[in-house]
Amino acid sequence: MREAMSIWFFAGVLFLLYGIIILAEGFWELSHPPANPPVLFNLHPSIWWGAMMTVAGLAYTVRFWPRVKR
Amino acid sequence: MLLETASKLTFHPSALALLLESSGKSLAHLNGVDILVIAVYFAIVIFIGFYLKGSTNTSEEFFMAGREMTAWIAGLSFVSANLGSLELMGWAGSAYQYGILATHWYWIGAIPAMLFLGIVMMPFYYISKTHSVPGYLHLRYGDGARALSAVSFAFMTVLMSGINMYSMAIVMKVVLGWNLNFSIWVSSITVALYVALGGLRSAIFNEVLQFLLIWLGALLVPILGLIEVGGWTNLRAQILQRLGSGEYVHMWSTLGHFHDNPMGVHWTGIVFGLGLVISFGYWTTDFLVVQRVLSAHNLRAARMAPIIGAGFKMAVPFIVILPGLLALSVLPFHLVGETQAVATGQHSYNEVLPLMLVRYCSPGLLGLGVTALIAGFMSGMAGNVSAFSTVWTYDLYGAFINKKATDKHYVSMGRWCTFVGVLISVGTAYLVQHAASIMDYVQALFSFFIAPLFGTVILGMLWKRATKAAGFWGLLAGTGTAVGLWAWVHFDPSALRYVALSADAKAMAEDMYRALWSWLVCVIVTIVVSYMTQPKKESELEGLVYGASRIPEERDEHWYQRPIVWAGVIAVLFVILNVIFW
Repeated sequence: MREAMSIWFFAGVLFLLYGIIILAEGFWELSHPPANPPVLFNLHPSIWWGAMMTVAGLAYTVRFWPRVKR
Repeated sequence: MLLETASKLTFHPSALALLLESSGKSLAHLNGVDILVIAVYFAIVIFIGFYLKGSTNTSEEFFMAGREMTAWIAGLSFVSANLGSLELMGWAGSAYQYGILATHWYWIGAIPAMLFLGIVMMPFYYISKTHSVPGYLHLRYGDGARALSAVSFAFMTVLMSGINMYSMAIVMKVVLGWNLNFSIWVSSITVALYVALGGLRSAIFNEVLQFLLIWLGALLVPILGLIEVGGWTNLRAQILQRLGSGEYVHMWSTLGHFHDNPMGVHWTGIVFGLGLVISFGYWTTDFLVVQRVLSAHNLRAARMAPIIGAGFKMAVPFIVILPGLLALSVLPFHLVGETQAVATGQHSYNEVLPLMLVRYCSPGLLGLGVTALIAGFMSGMAGNVSAFSTVWTYDLYGAFINKKATDKHYVSMGRWCTFVGVLISVGTAYLVQHAASIMDYVQALFSFFIAPLFGTVILGMLWKRATKAAGFWGLLAGTGTAVGLWAWVHFDPSALRYVALSADAKAMAEDMYRALWSWLVCVIVTIVVSYMTQPKKESELEGLVYGASRIPEERDEHWYQRPIVWAGVIAVLFVILNVIFW
């Protein structure tokens, strides 16, 4: 039996999934820039925002992973 | 909801219909990655509903989330229940139109009331073990005040949910070009599923996720915007240069007279109407938000939740007001009011947030921003529907129709009335599609009940002498006053100079003063009737009224764990911020 999944676990999973998707898109855009790039595209916000979400999501997913009940 | 209502003074619901007419083509185009981001959100939301179904078997679990929430979860949910997408878009538009004055609705219009709820009122709500605000009125004043409050709340809440649904459909149509029916049905089926399955717990989980998503999706706009303009000091200078007026970047210094500021408000209206009556009425007696705090697992958590919520609420202008101000500086075109936008094909104020999202966000990030908007709308609907289901089941069905049913029956009633609530909301959404002005009337109607309700509740909590008859007649007289003043101005606009004390006053000032007068009438009638009628014995007021209740002692290990300390920290920050942006 495992503990119930906490809200923070769900938040972690959501952040992690979004982080991976956005980070991957950011890297893809390095070689395939959009035809109409948004303002400040040169700062590559997808990469650093996506990376930040991935790290935060991973930390929360691991920290709040439902443990086995003793 | 009332603050949301206030926000719609600038983001008029019926103006949404104009928004629809004005949009020849959608503002943004989503690609595959954006769709994936949105799909992940829907999948998680529905999964949470199914996952939590197993833990909502009793009425306490279904309607009150088992009273197991921590201070952080209850606090985030408390502030999130109010942070709808319409509010975000409306206030960003107001910031563009009126400048930093719009911040009053987040600071003086919320923070003092939230702290007051946590420090003064929460003990009485919590130790009375009430399930709802009408439930507290029942304990304090009897069935008359409860019935009046429950009927008005249930009716208005479900209508508001429909308006929220319709608003979402329009925004999705304008921003993304989505079909109205598609948006209405997909959002309503999703909300009905996850609330009916997981009850309040599911609604709270999703509100917390929505809160995080809104920050994730919207935070990039002010960050990148500030980088683009070169910081806050440059932004102020650019606004001054572009508009030639300092009134857009000052919160208090232009409130000396109605015609000195673009909102047409006076500081007395902001302090007493908004800060004292509207704000306290909404944050301390609207069951939609109070329900979140009642789900806390102990009294300390229940007191801390609004204080934590206040801390986050104070930060919201960073993602709402700042984008509106940034747009004043960086957008290469000028935004206009809805009517002019329809006539000329220009963009309206209310499109400022989507426009800024499109300006800075590439695929993926744009999907995240759109998901934040969808999440805001859906959790707003879920909040309304879950509160409706609780008030209907406890305060109307269980109190007046079927008093002796089993707990299982009430849970079943709660699940079914969630579906019924959603269906009525869908009906409302289609109704307003054909008569958009209904939305403005419903909004106004909702605002009639909140200010007097605050008068009734606060006298009930702080004054032992308030009697059963006084509670009912005070509430009725206050509500009647609000309706009367609204009708007076509606049929004779020149009456605004009497209601809002100045011929220069605008609609926003009217709302504040109407709330103030209706609250005063409620308080005066309650006091007069109380002295004319027999009070309850003090023993019957135990746990309900200040001076007649023993508040359980809270044992904090350290001084810095006390709610009063954190309330003090938030209060000091609140004062500092107001002085900085004076």
